[in-house]
Amino acid sequence: MNWHTKWFRQTLYGTVVLSASLIALTTPPAALAAEPREDLRAAFDKTLKGKKVAWAPVWLGVLESEWTRNMKTHFDDYGIQFTVRDANFKSDVQLQAVSELINEKPDVLIVQNPNVTLLARELKRAMDAGIYVIQVNMASNTLTDAYVGVDARDMGRRLAKNIINECGGGKGSGQVAILEGEATAAYSLDMKRGAMEVFNTDKSMKVVSSQPANWDANKAGEITATVLQQNPDLCGVLSVWGPQAAGAAQAIKAAGKAGKTKIWVASDGQPADCDLLEQGLFYRNLSYRADTQGEAIVNAVLTLLQNAEKPGAKRFAYYTTPYWVNSKADRAYCFVVPKSGTK
Amino acid sequence: MAMQNAASRKPSQALAVLGICVIVIVIFSATLKGFMTVGNLLALARNISILGVLALGMAIVVIARGLDLSQVASMACATAIAILLINASWATPVALLVGLLLSVAVGALNGWLISVIEMPPLLTTLASGLAVLGITRSTAVEHFVVNLVPGHDDFLRLGGNLAGGVPVPLLVFLATVVGVHLFLSRTVLGRFIYAHGDNPEAARLGGLPTRFLTMLEYALCAGIGYIGGVVMIAQTALMHLQVVESTLIFDVIMVVVLGGVSLSGGRGNVMSVVVGTLLIGVLLNGMTIMDMDIQTQNIVKGIVLLVAIVLDSILHPRDEETSKQGD
Repeated sequence: MNWHTKWFRQTLYGTVVLSASLIALTTPPAALAAEPREDLRAAFDKTLKGKKVAWAPVWLGVLESEWTRNMKTHFDDYGIQFTVRDANFKSDVQLQAVSELINEKPDVLIVQNPNVTLLARELKRAMDAGIYVIQVNMASNTLTDAYVGVDARDMGRRLAKNIINECGGGKGSGQVAILEGEATAAYSLDMKRGAMEVFNTDKSMKVVSSQPANWDANKAGEITATVLQQNPDLCGVLSVWGPQAAGAAQAIKAAGKAGKTKIWVASDGQPADCDLLEQGLFYRNLSYRADTQGEAIVNAVLTLLQNAEKPGAKRFAYYTTPYWVNSKADRAYCFVVPKSGTK
Repeated sequence: MAMQNAASRKPSQALAVLGICVIVIVIFSATLKGFMTVGNLLALARNISILGVLALGMAIVVIARGLDLSQVASMACATAIAILLINASWATPVALLVGLLLSVAVGALNGWLISVIEMPPLLTTLASGLAVLGITRSTAVEHFVVNLVPGHDDFLRLGGNLAGGVPVPLLVFLATVVGVHLFLSRTVLGRFIYAHGDNPEAARLGGLPTRFLTMLEYALCAGIGYIGGVVMIAQTALMHLQVVESTLIFDVIMVVVLGGVSLSGGRGNVMSVVVGTLLIGVLLNGMTIMDMDIQTQNIVKGIVLLVAIVLDSILHPRDEETSKQGD
């Protein structure tokens, strides 16, 4: 037994060593791709290359352009074909664009909803047609494969809590005005709802006005000027969007209330919002960064394509964490648009 | 003039609107705490100044039996470009002058297309407004918002208040009122514009340079609108081009028609615009104080406009002479 085992072992060793060196000598280096790390990249490329992603934003404003810029950079890198349809704030155009995109059968369809109903039916149709659907910054009544974006209602709550800390409980007059966006925009309605939930729990707070400024700085300025006349002790203004709040800030300055009436802004992180805060025109921004949000959209696309389940099978969510911008030190929570290669 | 004939037969529309306005003011004063205060009235005046200035420009075109749907577009784009120039450290007056020239050029082009190429004003200005916005966005303004860089406090004073709380925009509005009034009522060109609107064919046969007049009217409309735009950027330190796609242009037309500047041309005057602006301003101010929701506000605005149009058609019935325009 002993000698037999020994002989067997030696032979075995010999064979292994010999064949190992033979393989090492004769195999070309390319075959090293069989290594798992290399496989991973190869499978990634194979899954993604040539895939089609279509994107239908409400319009291409500062926020949307930043998302788009990020998506394009990544998709170009991965060899994914990327189409954008700018609806320029017209809901009929956007609905048409989405219908048309579904007929073109991309692998992934990304949409930004203007409200909760407009695209709901088409999004279901898209998933039925075998297209993954990602919704950005506001989900519609149809939930889809993935949602990427802020929780507007939660942002409203956070803003309201912060305002109560400054204006409520006898620290300020407790009077607040809300500057909504467009009257029917769900982003703005959700945020107002969240804020009201919190304001209603505090007896020291009074929402003296809640008017839609239609995303218009001038209109916001007019509303603020009137509200300030009625409520000279107004402590806070909650604006659901930065640029319109700029008009309110100038109205406060013109009324000689700078520093007394403060502005809280729900910001998409556009550079101008941080500029205005640093100039002392805004008091606090609750900001999400559109650039990192753009990357989250890309990640959702990667997940769906690699996960390879049937469209409609999963409900992934990627909620964005908003950050407080209090001073120049928080500049990082506004994104920077690179001077070259924008668009 | 037809205007005077109408006035001699029936009360003028401006007077009727002024009456409605007084009634609304009395109701608001009685029911809304804080409406009839100096502070609120000054805020009200500040809020209607820009609309008023735009409406004065529009009135010139409407009196001449035209319509300029591109006014807000050329105003917004020209001021946005002026801001860009100021941000690029041009001297503020020079930058503002460039903006003025741009908007006047758009107006003159409108007038040329309408009078020489003989395109209908409605479609011409609808198209030129879109073109101006498109060209501006694709060449100069990448996104919709242009912010004025800090450090132009002198310029921003134009949107602020004087000592005593008198808003500077109100003074700009009043100056424009006086200017346009004198132009329309005291100058030969002003009277030509009435003649042109009252009966274009007769005006042409009578030897008036109607093509030149049309270009002048649209250029004035755009140029005066630009003044409103400058006040707007002085008030907000930014220009948001989405204003082009807002209902502002319809508010402007509403104010003009409301006060009795008839779409059939040749009728109405600066007073009409002032009372129209005042009524809208009082309504908006009262509704904001009441914190009325936007749907109700729209219903009220819609009803007011309908009433004004009914008044217009009672005071200036549609007939052969007027059937071409605005119908």
